[in-house]
Amino acid sequence: MKGRYDVVLYNNKVHYHLTIKRNITILRGDSASGKSEFIRLLAQYNGSPKSSGISLICDRECIVLNEGNWKLYLETYRERIFFIDEGNDFLRTKEFADAVKGADNYFVIISRENFPNLPYSVDEIYGLREGKYREAKRVYNEMYRIYGNLPESLRC
Amino acid sequence: MLSIYYGLYKGENYIDNPDLYFDNTYEDAWLEDPHSKAMVKDIDKSELIGPNLVISPVLGSIPVSRLSGGVKTLIQIAHDPEHVYNASACGDNCAAWLLRIGKEKDVLVRLGHQMRFTEEPFDIRIENTGQVVHTRKELVTAVISQGLLEETL
Repeated sequence: MKGRYDVVLYNNKVHYHLTIKRNITILRGDSASGKSEFIRLLAQYNGSPKSSGISLICDRECIVLNEGNWKLYLETYRERIFFIDEGNDFLRTKEFADAVKGADNYFVIISRENFPNLPYSVDEIYGLREGKYREAKRVYNEMYRIYGNLPESLRC
Repeated sequence: MLSIYYGLYKGENYIDNPDLYFDNTYEDAWLEDPHSKAMVKDIDKSELIGPNLVISPVLGSIPVSRLSGGVKTLIQIAHDPEHVYNASACGDNCAAWLLRIGKEKDVLVRLGHQMRFTEEPFDIRIENTGQVVHTRKELVTAVISQGLLEETL
C-alpha cells in the first residue's frame, strides 16, 4: 500500500480531517484535543456505517483495532487504514511489531509512549488541534506536525 | 512529593489504561471535589456539574465517561492512593496538575514518555533511582542518561 490518503470523519458536532502519508503515523499531544473522540466516532461508524449518523470519506476502509480483533484483522485484511487508541497492551508487543512490518496496511497509533520496535519517522508524529475553519455547529479538527521545525541535525 | 517511575512498571497495583479503569471504578465523591471540577475546567474546558453530568462547549451534555483520558487520570491520581496510574495517558497540559497534586500528597505515577514539566523549580523523585530533581533539564538528562525509557517487552 502506497500513497497519501485523506480521512474525513464527522457528525453533527465534530469534523476531523487527517492526512495519512506513511505506513505508521503517531498521534499524540495535549489531553482533550479530540484523539479518543475520533476513535470513538470511528468505532461507532465501523459498527453501524449507515445508521450511525457518522460520515466517513476516504479512499480506503478505516477500521479501529482493539485487543479482540487485531490479530484476525491483520491476518485477513490488506490495504486498510487501521486506527489504534492508547491503552491497548498489544501495541508494545513484538508480535504486533512483526505483524506491522509485514502488513500491506497503514497504521495510525494514538499514544505518547515510545515504540522502539516500530519503524516510524519523527516526521510522522502529529497532534490534533482545532482548525482555522469553523462552522457554526461543528468544530473542525486537523493534524499538525509536532516535530516539524526540528533542525535536520536533531532528527533521527 | 510527586514520584515518577519511568518505563515498564510491573507492580500488581498498576493501572495501564486509566481511561477505561475510571469508567468502571470512579466514585461519585471524587467528582464533587472542587479540585476535580477545576481540572475538568482547565484541561477539558468543560463544566463538571456533578457525578452524572458534564457540559462540554463542543459536545454538549455528556456523561463523565467522555471526559478526556488525561483528566480522568488526574482525578484518579488525586483520589485513589491504592493504585499506580499510567500518567502517559496525560498530555503536557496535565503536567502542572501533577506537580500540584504532588505538593499536597505523596503520589507515585508511571510515565512511558518525556512529559514537559515547565513550572520550575519543582520536586520530582525518579522512583527508578531515588534521585530527586528540580529542573526539566535535570529530569530529562537523568531519564536519557540512564536509559529509563529504553526497556521493551
